Amino acid sequence: MIHFIDVWKSYARELFTASPVALRDISFSLQQGETLGLIGANGAGKSTCIKLLMDFIRPDQGQITVLGSPPRNHKIRSRIGYLPETANFPPNLTALDMLRFTGATCGMRTAAIQAASEKWLRRLALWEARKRPLRNYSKGMQQRANFAIALLNDPELLILDEPMSGLDPIGRADILGLIAELKGQGKSILFCSHILEDVDRVVDNVLVLHKGRTLFAGQPKRLANEQGCPTFVEGYLHLVRQGEEND
Amino acid sequence: MYDRGKKMINTLKRISAVARIVLIDGLRRHALLGLVALSVSAEAGAFLFFDFIPRDIGRASSDFILSLAWLSGFIFLYFHGVQVIALDEERKVIYSLLARPISRGEYVGGIFTGLACLLLLLNLLLCLLGFGTLMFIKQQVLPVYFSQFAMSYYLLAWLGLFAMELMLLAVILFFSGLVRGSFPVLLISLSFYAICSGLPVVRDAISQKASLEGQSTSLKSILQGMTAFFPDFDRLDFKNMITSVTSPPDPSLILVNFGLTSAYIAVLLWLACIAYHRRDLQ
Repeated sequence: MIHFIDVWKSYARELFTASPVALRDISFSLQQGETLGLIGANGAGKSTCIKLLMDFIRPDQGQITVLGSPPRNHKIRSRIGYLPETANFPPNLTALDMLRFTGATCGMRTAAIQAASEKWLRRLALWEARKRPLRNYSKGMQQRANFAIALLNDPELLILDEPMSGLDPIGRADILGLIAELKGQGKSILFCSHILEDVDRVVDNVLVLHKGRTLFAGQPKRLANEQGCPTFVEGYLHLVRQGEEND
Repeated sequence: MYDRGKKMINTLKRISAVARIVLIDGLRRHALLGLVALSVSAEAGAFLFFDFIPRDIGRASSDFILSLAWLSGFIFLYFHGVQVIALDEERKVIYSLLARPISRGEYVGGIFTGLACLLLLLNLLLCLLGFGTLMFIKQQVLPVYFSQFAMSYYLLAWLGLFAMELMLLAVILFFSGLVRGSFPVLLISLSFYAICSGLPVVRDAISQKASLEGQSTSLKSILQGMTAFFPDFDRLDFKNMITSVTSPPDPSLILVNFGLTSAYIAVLLWLACIAYHRRDLQ
């Protein structure tokens, strides 16, 4: 599904500053039906990985393959559901407008767009608000609208950038349940999150990034065992502290 | 051949999907509705305006209406167009759109088409209202002021105006591909327009000086060459022909001017596509 091989990325230099290196020699892969969690502190490189996968930015070195093609091939995105960290829509559009746009660009028929829109808007409790401008949605509603848009075309691969961002505990539980449901359907899921308890609950494997480097790749349980800690969260914190000391 | 046709249709569908959301977003934007209301009331103000003109009422009224439409288009381009294009990137709206299976070239095409449709709607509304206003004024004044009024030249003047606006829109898209942020894009695009407006004046002054001194200067050639990058908008300005008694320009020359405008827009959009294709969207 995803192959990320020896990828380096640095951002464009701004005046009087050095070019910041966001990723250093990062490699990982995501297999069919697997759920992989990208975790790390702010600036670790999680969002950079996701932007590279979505072809918003390009790597300096290394090779990236998504669904058998390089990310530059825009056609593969009809098989990907992407959830951005913060929902940014054209302000005067409604959820229905964005769903129609998504369906039209994915080559779906009008009837299929209508059926899928109704299904996801009802599932995510947005049906009543479907004709309201997205700018009037609360943060949680925008995030759920984003989910509906990401899932409309029944994607094989889900790329979720902080899916629980801005959600209250009930919304979080609902989204976690949805991710578990999608995982049960055999979807491949890559997501990054700061909330380690959530990651631990749904992922098969984690990739721990720290300042653009890989600190750990494998099962959460193995991370805890290797660090000699009782839980994954404690194991992660121990690993990051070690990483800080080594820097 | 069949595959190529199908591919083209799919590309057009994706471009129209982007254009559709730009159009809908614009039609629901309160600031834009305010601009339309202001333009409409200002054009209706021509009813009062013609009372203050002592002579040449036909030319002055049509000039007033077309100039107002140009100002409305200008405000639309620099305050709505720049915002839509540049804020797409600043507020990461572009991520929501490019996360779907559309290429960056299709995105550029869609944004251009959507904004061009909004501009067309604005111009159609003002053109109809302007025509009504002119007809009303025509009935109120002596026939001599509108003896040369020609509907075809009225439409040509609007077509010229729309072509100029499309050129500026393509320029804004091109600069948005090169520069990050709405404010730099606004400044650069305004500077571009200022150069385009000032260049013919400078060129005329240099030509007059050169002909008086009886020598051709290299500066004159350079200024002439610069027209390829900074087009002369006066060539598309036909508003003086609406009620003019002077002979109209050669139709082939008008066609050449529109052809060059189309080519200029096509080249700028192509360059904008290249700029968007090559850069990181961050």
